[in-house]
Amino acid sequence: MRTGRAVILHTAVVFGFLIVAYRLTDLMLFDHERLARRAKQQHTAVEDVQVRRGIIFDRMGRELALNLDLESLYCDPKTFAPSWETIRMLAPLVDREPQKMLSRIPDEGRFVWIKRKLPPETADKVRALNIEGLGFVTEAKRFYPKGDLASHVIGFVGIDNQPLEGIELQYDKYLGAKGGKVFRERDASGRTLSSGISAEAKGNNIVLTIDEVLQRIVEKELDRALEQWRAAAATAVMMDPYSGGILALANRPAYDPNAGGSAPGFEKRNRAITDCYEPGSVFKIVIGVGSLEEKLVTPNSLFDVSRGGIEVGGKVIRDVHKYGVITFKEVIQKSSNVGSIMAGMRLGKENIYRYAKLLGIGEKTGIDLPGEVSGWIPKPEHWSGTSLGAIPIGQEVAVTPLQIVRAYAAIANGGYLVRPHIVSEVLSPDRKTLASFRDGERRAVLSAKTAETFKEILKSVTEDGGTARSASVDGNLVAGKTGTAQMIDPRTKRYSKDKYVSSFVGFVPADNPRIAMIVVVYEPKGQIYGGVVAAPVFREIARQALSYLNVPREDVPGKQALLAWR
Amino acid sequence: MIVGRRRSIGKLVVTPFLIALLLISVFALVFVRSQIVKLEYRLGELEKKKTLCLRERKVLFAEKTSQLSFARLEASSQSQDGFVLPDRLKVVQIGKHTRSMPSHASFKEKQLAEP
Repeated sequence: MRTGRAVILHTAVVFGFLIVAYRLTDLMLFDHERLARRAKQQHTAVEDVQVRRGIIFDRMGRELALNLDLESLYCDPKTFAPSWETIRMLAPLVDREPQKMLSRIPDEGRFVWIKRKLPPETADKVRALNIEGLGFVTEAKRFYPKGDLASHVIGFVGIDNQPLEGIELQYDKYLGAKGGKVFRERDASGRTLSSGISAEAKGNNIVLTIDEVLQRIVEKELDRALEQWRAAAATAVMMDPYSGGILALANRPAYDPNAGGSAPGFEKRNRAITDCYEPGSVFKIVIGVGSLEEKLVTPNSLFDVSRGGIEVGGKVIRDVHKYGVITFKEVIQKSSNVGSIMAGMRLGKENIYRYAKLLGIGEKTGIDLPGEVSGWIPKPEHWSGTSLGAIPIGQEVAVTPLQIVRAYAAIANGGYLVRPHIVSEVLSPDRKTLASFRDGERRAVLSAKTAETFKEILKSVTEDGGTARSASVDGNLVAGKTGTAQMIDPRTKRYSKDKYVSSFVGFVPADNPRIAMIVVVYEPKGQIYGGVVAAPVFREIARQALSYLNVPREDVPGKQALLAWR
Repeated sequence: MIVGRRRSIGKLVVTPFLIALLLISVFALVFVRSQIVKLEYRLGELEKKKTLCLRERKVLFAEKTSQLSFARLEASSQSQDGFVLPDRLKVVQIGKHTRSMPSHASFKEKQLAEP
């Protein structure tokens, strides 16, 4: 009896063990892959690697573009069933109408964005509502701490941090970083264990040639000019004439890149490189350097402009004032159209075209910003009968402000055409230099003698008798040239009678230039001449910039304005 | 006879010792593993805190950068503290003479001369 029970018990135990062994075999051998996969899913939390774009610095290391970690609010439609009262509390926090917010939440699916990149205080308020079915995801948001400063240079990114304008777009391959996924262990209650892996990918940093203070000075003075002359727009570019590094580049109107997506198109236009205009008298640099380089004139060559006008191709071009017999230097100093056309006729259309091209007119400067246009100058074979009377005075050609300042920088630096650039260095996230563009490219286009002679002529423009006395700066000599050009009326396709572009381009100190700069004011009201509208803006910017850059005055004894000795 | 007794004593001592060692090792392994997991949990919590602190730091840094923008400094300091940009025309000429005497500062270079 006892043996019988023992057999039954043993059999039951063995059978039980067999069942367990079978189940274990099933779990560990036959169904292993499926179960392992399931277990992995349960134990693993997948997180997106947070991509942080590189920081953009100005030339002194001041931050111009940063990243913030903000929370984005999403909804799980399956579990989201709030009361109307809750919706009414939530909607204003996410800046939505309650009805519209509800209508955007579908009946199916498990994920829909409510509002992305909420400010921290708003996120806290939403979290405090404790609504079931709502969740937060941390996302990087690009932040431009200086507001609209240098907005046309820096550009901006979209909601997914995709580059849309400016340096953000041009240098995306450096600023951006590749994302990916990070797997973390978690327990049944969702608590994650440390993996020791950083879920953040950083892009490389960019150092610009722009200087925040100089940029601010330029923008402030452009704003003043815009207000004073009730102008439609204004542009200024300040450049190191030797390296081509852009120290400041500003356009008015401007926009705040923190809300770049909603800014109107005309505010986002980088007029310094994307807008062409007829330059007017600043183009006389081509006639000037061409005539000097070809030895057709000297600064003292005489031109009889006493008639006050000249007929070319049946069209009469006049000077603003009658001058009599003047030297070539005075032709440029007083901006005589008649004298310039006479010099242009001596130079010939082939040479005018050649020197324009040498000075970079009609070709892109190669600046590292997106959207640059090449401008336009017709080939000599396409010139009309009036072209020889128009092109020497800056009509029938289209240029960008940057092309003109580059051409004048060639006079400032002794005859070299530089490649303007806006980025000086690319740094790794741990601040090691990956690429340096400090030494700009340049090519010789003029003899040093011609550059020096024309510089002397340009100095006279800001002296008594010149068209830009108002551009002169206390303490240093300014060399430059005014420009006043009629704009084309888009309706009539003819020159407008009341729309002008006033400009002044120059460099200072004239004999040891630290900055080359152009100021262009579009459609000023009340006055039109470059010497009245743009030259004072140049002076104000130059005055402040020279102080900031500690450029010594030339009108005090000794080499330093600040004298200190022991 | 003596050898056999020694062997039995050895068995009596060594076998339980080895078993105890085995058990201790197993428990030590389990203990260490549990401590590691506990530490990972703690690290996970700390990482969360670190993320929150970094997020806060980024916000504060952005705010600081924004506050230190030249435009803002210029606007606030000019109105409140009489701050002006350096002007070369108002540079003070400073001179110090060879014999011991205080430095003189003046807007006019002439006044640098010994009184």
